[in-house]
Amino acid sequence: MTTSAGDPIFTPLRFRNLTVANRIFRSNISGRFDNEDGSGSQTRINWETKFARGGVGAVISSYVPVTLEGRIMSGYATIHRDDQIPFWQRLGEAVHAHGSRFILQLSHSGRQQDMPGTSNQHRVPPSATGKPEPLHGFLCRAMSRAEVQETVEAFARGAWRAKRAGLDGVELHAANGYLITQFLSSGINDRSDDYGGSLRNRARFLLDIIAAIRDTVGPDYHLQVKISAVDHNDVLPWEKKGNSLQDSIEVCRWVEQAGADALHISTGSLFPHPLNPPGDFSFETIATTYDAMISAGTRTMRNYALFRYHLLRPIFRWLWFRMKKGRPVEGVSADEARAIKRVVGIPVISTGGYQRASHIRGLIEEGWCDAVSIARALVANNDLVRIFAAGADAPERPCTFCNKCLLGAPKHPMGCYELDRYDGDREAMLAEVMSVFHPAPDFVIPEAPAAERPETAEAAS
Amino acid sequence: MSPEMPVTAVEAVRARRRVWSRSLAVLLLALFLIGLLTTAFGLYAWWRFSGESTAYHPDIEEHFKYGSIGSEPESGLPYWIWRALPELFHSELGGQGYEAFGFLYEDDGGGPRDLPIGLSRREVRGIELVWLNCAVCHTGTWRADADAPRQIVLGMPAQGFDLYGFIRFLFDAAVDERFGSDSLMDAMEGAGADFGWLEALFYRLLVIPTVREELLARRARLLPLLDEQPAWGPGRVDTFNPYKLLQFGMTLGDLSEAERIGPADLPSIWLQGPRGDQVMQLHWDGNNRSLRERNLSAAIGAGVTEETVDHQAIERVAAWLRDLPPPPSPLAEGLDPEQVDEGARLYARHCLRCHGRQGDEGYVFEGEDLGEVVPLAEIGTDPGRFESYTAEMAELQKGFFADDPGYRFQHFEKTEGYANHPLDGLWLRAPYLHNGAVPSLEALLAPPEERPRRFLRGLDVIDRAAGGFAAPDCPPGDGPGTAACFDTAVPGNGNGGHLYGTDLAPAEKAALVAYLKTF
Repeated sequence: MTTSAGDPIFTPLRFRNLTVANRIFRSNISGRFDNEDGSGSQTRINWETKFARGGVGAVISSYVPVTLEGRIMSGYATIHRDDQIPFWQRLGEAVHAHGSRFILQLSHSGRQQDMPGTSNQHRVPPSATGKPEPLHGFLCRAMSRAEVQETVEAFARGAWRAKRAGLDGVELHAANGYLITQFLSSGINDRSDDYGGSLRNRARFLLDIIAAIRDTVGPDYHLQVKISAVDHNDVLPWEKKGNSLQDSIEVCRWVEQAGADALHISTGSLFPHPLNPPGDFSFETIATTYDAMISAGTRTMRNYALFRYHLLRPIFRWLWFRMKKGRPVEGVSADEARAIKRVVGIPVISTGGYQRASHIRGLIEEGWCDAVSIARALVANNDLVRIFAAGADAPERPCTFCNKCLLGAPKHPMGCYELDRYDGDREAMLAEVMSVFHPAPDFVIPEAPAAERPETAEAAS
Repeated sequence: MSPEMPVTAVEAVRARRRVWSRSLAVLLLALFLIGLLTTAFGLYAWWRFSGESTAYHPDIEEHFKYGSIGSEPESGLPYWIWRALPELFHSELGGQGYEAFGFLYEDDGGGPRDLPIGLSRREVRGIELVWLNCAVCHTGTWRADADAPRQIVLGMPAQGFDLYGFIRFLFDAAVDERFGSDSLMDAMEGAGADFGWLEALFYRLLVIPTVREELLARRARLLPLLDEQPAWGPGRVDTFNPYKLLQFGMTLGDLSEAERIGPADLPSIWLQGPRGDQVMQLHWDGNNRSLRERNLSAAIGAGVTEETVDHQAIERVAAWLRDLPPPPSPLAEGLDPEQVDEGARLYARHCLRCHGRQGDEGYVFEGEDLGEVVPLAEIGTDPGRFESYTAEMAELQKGFFADDPGYRFQHFEKTEGYANHPLDGLWLRAPYLHNGAVPSLEALLAPPEERPRRFLRGLDVIDRAAGGFAAPDCPPGDGPGTAACFDTAVPGNGNGGHLYGTDLAPAEKAALVAYLKTF
């Protein structure tokens, strides 16, 4: 790695409690690789390890629900039970084996529950509000104070389990429309108690969680917070705009004061959002996958019609693309990260469409952020960091930000489905996607009672 | 078995919403169906009640008798109401139907026609309406004697037509409880109407109330005048006073005492050509020299308006009337030729200048003062008709057809007296003078004080001796049929004036009458 000497990208990033070897973080992304009960799988270990092998400084897990009720999609491992610690421990070890760090993202869906799963299908998810999510019509109910406290505790226990699993830190998913955003956003939170109204009240849930985590894991365990710098909550034009950058800057100050070690800056009060992840919107893909979500909401049939019928597509296209105008794909929210970095003392990680070394390097050198997190470009090129380390500015077959990976998530294993990147070779594409299933897990024969064992039976006869 | 429970929370919510959405769907479906029915009903109603048409009568006489001049839309009665009224008001009409007012029914071979002469039909908004045309006032009858068949003569004054009585009958009917939807519907069906349910509904809810309202409105305007006026009697009309109230919105109070009683005889309308445009002063008082304006003004009297007038139909009649001659006089039969010649000489001396003369080939429209107005003071006849037409009225009439240069009224004027008229068809034009106050030619040559004070008018048996129609002396009151006792003492009925020839010797008068019988 001669070319990386003195390169800001490859300069270790020192947090208060953690040092990461380089400035490229694998942003939170995974597939429905795990089990319906929230337990993990070998596939998941394979998935996260791909990126560690590719040289990222740290892998931020995909969202990991702290309660089963807080699942965003079933098929993703949770951390709501102590017996899940060994899985996360194994996963951490696998990532550590490649010199990367593993940061577990503690999450709760709130009302943004794309695929509730067997355990949740019969119940209405908790949220800051009782107003259904407007885009998909996901139902919700406003949490009681007791539920708020229980959920705060669930986050703290999740952090404790991560620490017990030997992971390098945790990230609170307070961005992109999930439960903590639902409390933070003035466009969503309509509470009249201590957790609603003023910005301080809306931030109370997040700050309570940070305090509870610190109480549980102590001051020396790495804790970072992912936050949306601007809500842009008005994807549907009749919705309120939500939090501004100024609101978020204030929240970030409080988060730092509360004891967070780093900030991870994203954008948007729902997910996906026109600005996150930035890039194209593949109607052909979503028309074949959104049907898996139809039963999850009351507005989903409408959306499915908008996606499936060509005559209706312009309506959604207008809704979705009107916000993107004048915005770059690469570094879509870099400017917001800079604004936040100016006012905080802790490191700031920026996310959103990064793929070129020169761009990332420039941002770090000029102090816009301390690191970047990347998901899709790493899904396309798992070894992107090694490509950078070899001196290339960008990979030969770059991510096109087509978002087919993301829009296929309800049905397909996570991977790059941009056929152009495989020269149109579908077999090659499938081979790459399916590589995540290797190595296969060790198969264990469930223990049988002695009376049922053949040898016992034979002996008995 | 209990209903299956929803599997997911979303389905549970959708199940709850379904109750509402189903109700909403039912409501929307109901609204849609109502809308559909309303549209279908509306389209049908539009189709059913949008017809505008009137029949064309190729034969000009048929056209004159039964063709529409456009009076129906604003003034007409629905055909079936017209037919029903005699059923409803049987006793009021003495069982005679409209013949009680002198309407003339022709026989079409299988019995009397359904409408009398002078009633035309026009479909207006899908409803067949009937109302008056020119023939109602300008078609009369005569009989050689009391047992002879009735002869109908087109263009002759409708000497038996009681317009005043007819108007009062309609006004009385409108305020009568029998003019209600129930009884009128029954009467219409009794008269032969076969309505569909929609049509019946339309008549019941809209047509009958509207017709009644219109009649009541007209009654409110006209009744004060009619109450003040003596009955006009058969063959007479107050041409201009009702006009002032109906067309110009005046009230009785706007009319001076002098102008309020102006009935005059219905005139004959033969041989309009020689009367010409801008030739003679037309109307009894000569207030207009334009045939077209005189015709249109008369049509307005029959009920047309500026909007509904059928100019083509009127002009067709007018063109025909230019040359239509009166029938030859049966009174001329058996006269002493010498006496007639003597009469002609006397006529030439005393009458020709003002009235023209009967020639061998028809009427000769020559005479220095033919068609010119003689001042009232000089002619000395009853002033009622003269006074009833005012300068103000002339000005108001000039507002008619103001937007239509081809028809705009321009020539009405207030004159000084009564106009000299040609005497074509004189035998059918009794009683004489503008107000029909003198029953016969013979009486006309008598000094006013010797002229009959009362006589029965409206009869159609010719009086071969005196020249005119039978007009026996009568007690005040109604006579047989449509005839009525004409009392010259009643205002507007004065029989004075026109003293020409009254001072001739009896033999001279007899000769003159003999000659006049040939007209």
